[in-house]
Amino acid sequence: MKISPPAISAKGLTRDFGAVRAVDSLSFVVPAGEVIGLLGHNGAGKTTTIRVLNGVLAATAGEAHVLGLDATSDGPKIRARTGVLTETPSLDERLTARENLGFAAQLFGVTRSEVAGRVVDLLDRFGLLDRADDRVAGFSRGMKQRLALARALVHRPEVLFLDEPTAALDPVAARDVHLLIRAFAAEEQRTVVITTHNLVEAQRLCHRVVILRQGRSIAVGTPAELSQQLSGAGQVEIEVGARQVEQAAAVARAAAHDAQVELDGDVLRVGGLGRESLPALVAELVRADVSIYRVTPSEPSLEDAYFALHAEDDA
Amino acid sequence: MRPEAGQFVTAIVRRDLTVVRRSRAVALPIIILPVVLFVGLPLLLTVALRLGQSQLAELQSLIDLLPESIRRLLGEGPLEHQLLTYFLELQFAALFLIVPLLVVAVIAADSFAGEKERKTLEALLYTPTTDVELYIAKLLGPWLAALAVGGGGYVLYAVTANVLAAAQMGRLLVVTPLWLLVVLWLGPAVAALGLGVLVQISSRVRGFQEAYQLGGAVVLPVVVLVVAQAAGVLILDALAAFVLGGIIWLIAGLILWVGFRAFRRESLLLSA
Repeated sequence: MKISPPAISAKGLTRDFGAVRAVDSLSFVVPAGEVIGLLGHNGAGKTTTIRVLNGVLAATAGEAHVLGLDATSDGPKIRARTGVLTETPSLDERLTARENLGFAAQLFGVTRSEVAGRVVDLLDRFGLLDRADDRVAGFSRGMKQRLALARALVHRPEVLFLDEPTAALDPVAARDVHLLIRAFAAEEQRTVVITTHNLVEAQRLCHRVVILRQGRSIAVGTPAELSQQLSGAGQVEIEVGARQVEQAAAVARAAAHDAQVELDGDVLRVGGLGRESLPALVAELVRADVSIYRVTPSEPSLEDAYFALHAEDDA
Repeated sequence: MRPEAGQFVTAIVRRDLTVVRRSRAVALPIIILPVVLFVGLPLLLTVALRLGQSQLAELQSLIDLLPESIRRLLGEGPLEHQLLTYFLELQFAALFLIVPLLVVAVIAADSFAGEKERKTLEALLYTPTTDVELYIAKLLGPWLAALAVGGGGYVLYAVTANVLAAAQMGRLLVVTPLWLLVVLWLGPAVAALGLGVLVQISSRVRGFQEAYQLGGAVVLPVVVLVVAQAAGVLILDALAAFVLGGIIWLIAGLILWVGFRAFRRESLLLSA
């Protein structure tokens, strides 16, 4: 069986700006078709990583390959096959939406006969066809971001880099952009790299995430894997009958010795309880004649994992 | 597939010039200056010479002050003819150089520093262009525009000057070897020099206005040339235009080469 090469691979990738190390010995592999998130605070090295992978900045040390091409020496060839949505839309506001896409198409080698059709298709898909001949200066931030995303796709790139795709967008515009990214990733089966500090966004869109801190990778995995690393289990909220909460707490403590039990009105919060132990606990409560009105298990989110990993790294 | 180099260059030049056309702050000086210089000024001068016939003799002293070499160029005709030749053919040849310089200064400032200011540079850096292609395209746009405006300005001036004075002079004005050298050799050289200076300036500033204001200084050598010619220190005849053009091409080539050596995607990105 032939194994297809990864879409992206980085090994010991390092980039310094003077005395500041922006990317520090970063290593990761992205298989073709995966949506991967680079998560981190501002200054974690996310944007610099994208720049190095596209051959726009040179690496100080280490190596990176995109689509089998060397990021240091094959920058133009890599950029012909990748699309990048920069943090600011970077559109020519004096030009119309159609002109912005048309010029980008020419720069990415779309043949003259295909440009017009490709541009109209994208404008239609991104809900901008009725504003095609308006200058971008009059567009809302959300419209500009959609147009910038359309521009990044104009040459049908094999790898799409999205640098903070929804930063500074309102929730509606951010949802629109999420839907477009999901559609692209699902329909086209292309590799997508998203940098973000929006953890909800990463959890929604990414198959895997790399958590960066001061240019270093502190964790790699699926959002679920990273969440599960957090104390191995989540928390469950059990709403019981009035004045039964003390009794329920006693039952819970007896049933699950390692669990942390907290009381909050008529609600019992049991932490550190394995998912497999939950049915037995509920059965014990029923047996003890505790009236149960609601059982809500809550898994640790990627956000919980993110902060826990940062705290762990501090320690 | 990565497109051909020519396709990149053409696309960037077209885009840059379209963007320039859409900005009043950039397009207006490019339109107004040639009209003022090539229509307004000769019209004013010719009308003044006609209306001031009675005081014309006072200008004889101006002609007398000129070196012999210049007086020879003015011929032996009536004083008004000598003055028309002096102003319309000789002085305006030096003034003409302001046009390609200003066009280059305005467009290059918009194309380099303006692009940083508008934050459109980063998207351009992520295209499959090489640094060489990007540099050539960024130079070619302002330079071609300077040539086009200069050429158009020359045609406009030739028509104006001849409508105003050809009948009186009994010959065509401005269609001379000197003017052809100025338009086709010296003008493009001066534009290239201005471009080299603007590239250097634009890499050190953040916005269009700053680059344009500093870049305005490139006009100073032309002003010196005009003043030197008026004072009789230097005369821009065909030979001088040819030699000066050669020198300026050399200097421009050197400055553009230095600019090219420093032109790196990475430094552009980090200065944006």
